[in-house]
Amino acid sequence: MRILVSWLIRAQFRSRRTATLLSMLAIALGVALGYSIHLINEAALADFSRAMKTVQGEPDAVIAARDSAGSVPLQRLDEISRDPEVLVAAPVIETRVRIGSLRTPFRLIGIDVFSAAAMMPGLLPRESERPDRVGILDGGIHASPALLAELGVQAGASLTLLRGDRRWSATIAGDVPAAGPDDLLLVADIAWVQEHFGPPDAVSEIRVRLAPDTDAAGWRTRVAALLPPGLLLRVAADDSERASNLSRAYRVNLNVLALVALLTGAFLVFATQLTAVAQRSTEFALLGVLGLPPRMRLLQVLLEGLAIGLPGALLGLGLGYALALAFTQLLGADLGGGYFSGSAPVIVPQVAPACGFLLLGCAASLAGAAYPAYLNLRQPLVEALSNGFSARPQVVRNRRRQLVLPLSLSLLAGALLQLPALFGLPLAAYAAIALVLLIGIAGAPLVTQQVFRWVADWQLPAPQRIALQNVAQAPLMAQVAAAGLIVSFALTASMVIMVSSFRVAVDHWLDHVLPAPLYVRSKASPLPQDLLTALDGADTPFVRVERSAHGALTLDPQRPPVALLVREIERSNPAARLPFSGALIAPPADLPVVWISEATHEIYRMAPGQTLRLPLLGREVEVFVGGVWRDYARQFGALVISRDDYQRLGGDFRPSDLALWPRPGQEAAAGEWLAPHALAHGLEVAESAAIRQLSLSIFDKSFAVTYALEAAAMLIGVFGLAVTLTASVWLRARELATLAALGFDRRMLRRALMLEGALIAIVGLLIGLVCGIAIGAVLTHVVNPQAFHWRMPLTVPWLTLLAGAAATLLAAVFASQQAARQATRLPLAQVLASSQ
Amino acid sequence: MLRVSGLARRHREASRALFTDLGFAIAAGEIVALVGESGIGKSTLLNCIAGLDTPDRGSIEIGAPAVDIVRLGEAARAALRARNIGFVFQAFHVLPTLTVAQNIGVPLLLAGVPPAEHASRTQTLLTRVGLPGFGDRWPASLSGGELQRVAIARALVHRPGLILADEPTGNLDPRTASQVLALLLERVRDQQASALIVTHSQHVAESCDRILTLTPQGLQ
Ligand SMILES: Nc1ncnc2c1ncn2[C@@H]1O[C@H](COP(=O)(O)OP(=O)(O)O)[C@@H](O)[C@H]1O
Ligand SMILES: [Mg+2]
Repeated sequence: MRILVSWLIRAQFRSRRTATLLSMLAIALGVALGYSIHLINEAALADFSRAMKTVQGEPDAVIAARDSAGSVPLQRLDEISRDPEVLVAAPVIETRVRIGSLRTPFRLIGIDVFSAAAMMPGLLPRESERPDRVGILDGGIHASPALLAELGVQAGASLTLLRGDRRWSATIAGDVPAAGPDDLLLVADIAWVQEHFGPPDAVSEIRVRLAPDTDAAGWRTRVAALLPPGLLLRVAADDSERASNLSRAYRVNLNVLALVALLTGAFLVFATQLTAVAQRSTEFALLGVLGLPPRMRLLQVLLEGLAIGLPGALLGLGLGYALALAFTQLLGADLGGGYFSGSAPVIVPQVAPACGFLLLGCAASLAGAAYPAYLNLRQPLVEALSNGFSARPQVVRNRRRQLVLPLSLSLLAGALLQLPALFGLPLAAYAAIALVLLIGIAGAPLVTQQVFRWVADWQLPAPQRIALQNVAQAPLMAQVAAAGLIVSFALTASMVIMVSSFRVAVDHWLDHVLPAPLYVRSKASPLPQDLLTALDGADTPFVRVERSAHGALTLDPQRPPVALLVREIERSNPAARLPFSGALIAPPADLPVVWISEATHEIYRMAPGQTLRLPLLGREVEVFVGGVWRDYARQFGALVISRDDYQRLGGDFRPSDLALWPRPGQEAAAGEWLAPHALAHGLEVAESAAIRQLSLSIFDKSFAVTYALEAAAMLIGVFGLAVTLTASVWLRARELATLAALGFDRRMLRRALMLEGALIAIVGLLIGLVCGIAIGAVLTHVVNPQAFHWRMPLTVPWLTLLAGAAATLLAAVFASQQAARQATRLPLAQVLASSQ
Repeated sequence: MLRVSGLARRHREASRALFTDLGFAIAAGEIVALVGESGIGKSTLLNCIAGLDTPDRGSIEIGAPAVDIVRLGEAARAALRARNIGFVFQAFHVLPTLTVAQNIGVPLLLAGVPPAEHASRTQTLLTRVGLPGFGDRWPASLSGGELQRVAIARALVHRPGLILADEPTGNLDPRTASQVLALLLERVRDQQASALIVTHSQHVAESCDRILTLTPQGLQ
């Protein structure tokens, strides 16, 4: 039996080389995309935890402040150190400083050399051999090898460190040999850092190693319960969870693309196998008569599907690996997403995920082959032997029954859309998308029959009418051809709709969040006091200045922190500055109010009108939630609090960003006024138009891959149409020969076939458009909010879609012309003679 | 060995039953011709015997020990065909994607004959049907008579006990037809198989051991 199977598979590949290869490639592409995303992400996470290990060591617990402006009091360190179960408690102060004229700030980590030796060997400094070296305890600082290379200096060199408007000179005493090739950091003695940068009487973190026999979990629970609300206790697992949360949503997009490729692959297998089954129905019937077990008719087609899927998936794994290598070399671990820093991570393939993706590719091809295999099993042997394939033309009588499948699938899809995200991924929504496609395909017979019967009633020349009636009677091949276009056009249209809705929404949003003509930002350190003082003066070229400070709050140790924006905003009229998406609720006069972004609202289930306790300023503060605003910039959440409220709570308002309104006609003067400040303090100055343009161009760039894949999907769809049309011509060779014998000339036949192709394309595009809008709505209203917590109104770019449809229709007509040409090349006389 | 008894068959949309109580038997090694008008039900009878069609009533016992193919499930019928029945059709039905030798080898694969024997058995039969050296050719390059010889070789290669032939020479010119038929009878006799051959040719019918005529009233 195995020999027979392999003979048939080989014969199948021989006679349908292009279609088979293309299906294989599409499957390979899907697997490759999915696998490379997985590999890159794994590598990035591994890299992240390696970097974490260098900087942080492997503590059993870390105690830190929830508020980025907060710190851990030294008194806490004393308590922890005295705990008999604690082996080492290493204090750390971490801050960011600029070096010389470089704009990007670098990490400066202050360590206690003795506790660090036990806890964080990766950060241990090595003094240079130079005779004039300054020891770390005497104020010498150490730079990681990567930073030395970046700065182009060596031990002994003198650096200027800047933070705000203060500057210090320091000498490089040596390097940090164990730091990784991506770690750009400075290490100094903790007392030195505290003296120069603060915080006084406090540290950023305490890293704890417990005594060997301690019940670590129990210790953590006990200590966490005793911590004040402003502090939190983290474990290493939280860090990797947080890192994976960082990139999770970004992966969603790429996964959708992989899914698109896999689905088109599955469809191509479907089209190839269905035409193969139809063309070989007589052969299979013969084998059945000769004694081929019935289940083999099913298995054979499935195996042929697998014979496409398995090599395709294997190829995909190789391609995925190569893609992962290429992408990480070119773009870094986050594919340009900006989530992970550093250079190319090391890609290490592992067996289990590779097998998983292999199975996925095989599953896609099997899914494509399933229905053809079923049809093949159901062929009545005797009839198939003498009359060939019977697609069991669905008689119009049971139209009600034809409606049952699409309707029940719609219900199922609707139910799936109600489900929340699983593991942070919109898996149910993906399933719903696949269902929408299935509904389109399952509903295609109804529409095809309707259209063809309607057209058959036209006053057409006889040959056209006869050809069309044929299709209306036995619409299977027409359905297959249409199905290809449905799948590819629906997916393309949906992506176009999603991207354009998103772009329109971002555009509006930028209008709202960039009200000032000019912006100034200081990266990761407060603005220099002299600039702020100068801005308060009377003779500035600005009519209005708004300041804001940016911090971060860790509400859940497993999630990236929420941005805390302190802004000069009116408590009574926040809508002047924030794009609210719902109603605003007036706060009680005695409570500070925060306005939360949609992501905060969804991730932390905070709602307007609630009174919450937030870990602000090192303690727990009661705040009122005044409203939810739209934020496309910070997908992990943001809170806005007015400067007045913040200061009333005792917060120290140290702005890092400025929004500036130059006096009318003084725009140039404004730029000149700012220039010396910007130069002296490494500030970024940008006009709102430039920010806007940059934002949109980043947006467009991040969707470039999407456009490429859409084009590929459309090509595959049109190719599928050509394959199936040719096959349907082949299947109807006897009919066509009979028509020719009755006196229809080749030109008439060709016209009839082209009309048929165009009609099928129109049906496919119509259904595809409807499904595409449905999927676009799912992507926009379910996938985006679940994955990114970004909500936006649906915008359908009709012009683009119709232009795409028109182009596809043209391509389809061209494809059917090619098919028609093949048909008229059929040796009709011979076909007629060979049939009984 | 074949024993048909009490067979009745009526197609779903047909106005009359093709047969209501058909009974006959073919002994081992006996060759029987089946004649009758077109549309009388000869192919239907053959299909019932081969388990491709299911009669409304009656039994069809094949081989020794006898198995009633009517009572078998689809898979068991296929297995019985693979082991014990050889089929020759009017329209040749040679798989165009397999070589001549592979075509002939198919029943050996289906019957589970050890692969070591395949080459020699196929070669022997190719020689016996007068096509030595045709093994590696593709069916598309063969004439009708040659194709039917391949089909005959395929029907015999797994040494079935029962050969069914439905107008095996209907698509051939008279000269080729009589050559092919003579060959078929000769080979069936070689293998001591039973055979039921549907034919319109008086000449063919007369070279068989016995003639059965199917009429609307039954067998005569
Ligand atoms: N599947 C079928 N459904 C309905 N009628 C059939 C079917 N197959 C054959 N018939 C009818 O049964 C009759 C006998 O057909 P057949 O056995 O092929 O006759 P023969 O081989 O003697 O020419 C014919 O009238 C034919 O139309
Ligand atoms: Mg017949």
